[in-house]
Amino acid sequence: MTRNAFLWISVAILALYFTVALLAPFIAPYGATEIVGAPLQPPDRGHLFGTNDVGQDIFSQLVYGSRVTLIFGFCSALLSVSISTCAGIVLGYYGGNIDEVVCRILDILMPIPIFPLLIVLTTFFNPGVVQVSILMGVLGSIHGIRLIRAPALSLAETPFIEGARSIGATDLRIMSRHILPNLMPVVTAKFVSSSQHYLVMGVGLSFIGLWDTMTVDWGSMIQNAYSSGALSLGLWWWILPPGIAVVGISLALALAGYSLEESFNPRTEVNRI
Amino acid sequence: MIEVDAVSKYYTSGFFSRIRTYAVEDVSLSINRGEALGLVGESGSGKSTLGRMMLRLVEPSAGRVVFDGIDLRALKTPAMRQLRPRMQIVFQDPDTALDPRMTIGESVAEPLMVWQQGSRHERDDRVLELFAMVGLQPELADRRPFELSGGQKQRAALARAIVLEPEFIVLDEPTAALDLSVQAQILSLVQVLRKRMDLTLLFISHDLQVVEQMSGSVAVLHKGRIVESGRTADILHRPSHPYTIQLVEAARKSEEWFGKQRGNHGSGDEV
Ligand SMILES: Nc1ncnc2c1ncn2[C@@H]1O[C@H](COP(=O)(O)OP(=O)(O)O)[C@@H](O)[C@H]1O
Ligand SMILES: [Mg+2]
Repeated sequence: MTRNAFLWISVAILALYFTVALLAPFIAPYGATEIVGAPLQPPDRGHLFGTNDVGQDIFSQLVYGSRVTLIFGFCSALLSVSISTCAGIVLGYYGGNIDEVVCRILDILMPIPIFPLLIVLTTFFNPGVVQVSILMGVLGSIHGIRLIRAPALSLAETPFIEGARSIGATDLRIMSRHILPNLMPVVTAKFVSSSQHYLVMGVGLSFIGLWDTMTVDWGSMIQNAYSSGALSLGLWWWILPPGIAVVGISLALALAGYSLEESFNPRTEVNRI
Repeated sequence: MIEVDAVSKYYTSGFFSRIRTYAVEDVSLSINRGEALGLVGESGSGKSTLGRMMLRLVEPSAGRVVFDGIDLRALKTPAMRQLRPRMQIVFQDPDTALDPRMTIGESVAEPLMVWQQGSRHERDDRVLELFAMVGLQPELADRRPFELSGGQKQRAALARAIVLEPEFIVLDEPTAALDLSVQAQILSLVQVLRKRMDLTLLFISHDLQVVEQMSGSVAVLHKGRIVESGRTADILHRPSHPYTIQLVEAARKSEEWFGKQRGNHGSGDEV
């Protein structure tokens, strides 16, 4: 199979996820926190994935939960990649002393592990999903800045950029009309891999209860089931659906990243499987 | 028209930037309006650096560059920008001279966009007019650089350079990356454009013969310094500086060699 086929498969899967998140109220038979029946019912016609310990419909929770999980993953990634792209292009294009100083600072910041830092921060503040998402996006952009800066730097030195300067194009125009379009392959690839990264991390953060545990998302669903011993009690319908949902979208994003790599980089053409 | 006065450019390296390497050192020259000056020298002699400094695309470390009575180094960025349409550059490598993400038409129209000249329709017309001037087929306007040959790209680069009707153009080895036959076409195109638009040229090349075709006077650059300058014919026939003598001899040899090649090629074609 070609990578192009992989790309379409992954796009189809992602589209499915987004449709579910977007149309949640029409797809979910019940509300996310609504108590709709007896607790711990196995799947049947009324409850596609059964109910949890307080009698909430797991299918409805899964559908509504996709919203928080997807928004967290993609918004953090969007924020992070936007910062990386802007900063990386500016640093690479202007170079010089500012670039040097900022790169030194990034070198110092880079080894700081984000996950433990977040846990420390949340013991002092009591953040919601949005705050954590912004924090993650900002902290996570550090690596991306270096990633974007390197090709921006070499682009800035190519003759066509000098040619743009010689016709009197402003720096803003050069960065937005020449450098950014030529970096789009890198930026897109970074966005896809960041989305996967943040999405999984969001589930993890929710699992350890980093934000309000009343928020229904896949992480908190897994956490509820796990801490109640769903696994040892054989209540598979409680823990498997959110688990599979996470694995599914993560794989789709990995697949998208893998296939984009080829369409953007002609040199990998030979390695086609 | 343009005057360079004791201009130097050095690059620093090493601990605390204490090592200075001169790319161009204490160079003075001037070109009158409508004239062409050839600049020859081997690779690394500082030709490109000098040419770029004359357009202030590279900031000189010392000296003055005076364009039409204006001291370029005294200008602030916005004022320099206003002056840019009057001076242009064509690069050596056609593969990197055009933005690979833009169509050829967009690249040629970009200077007009930057200076907001004309409506969209007028710009399209102007682009086609320029395509005709440089000998490009109109249908190439929608292609991207990778779909064009080196010669076609260089024609497009020329079109882009003249779209704002500049007075002064730096041609930085515009034919060095092209085949001999294409090289001749581009050179004659430059001659035509020069007459038609009354251009002032700095023609950079490492090839004395090309310079002889293009300009009446020449300056020889060696290790960042001008070692000889004057009328091209004089220098070609009576070189005085040892480096120029070397250069002329090398040119003779390659002429003989290319002569033979052309001879062989010709007989081959007849068969
Ligand atoms: N950005 C730069 N940093 C350091 N050295 C440079 C830079 N640009 C040019 N040089 C050096 O300046 C010298 C002249 O280069 P250049 O003007 O490109 O020569 P030419 O065009 O004659 O081949 C070379 O030795 C080159 O290594
Ligand atoms: Mg050069």
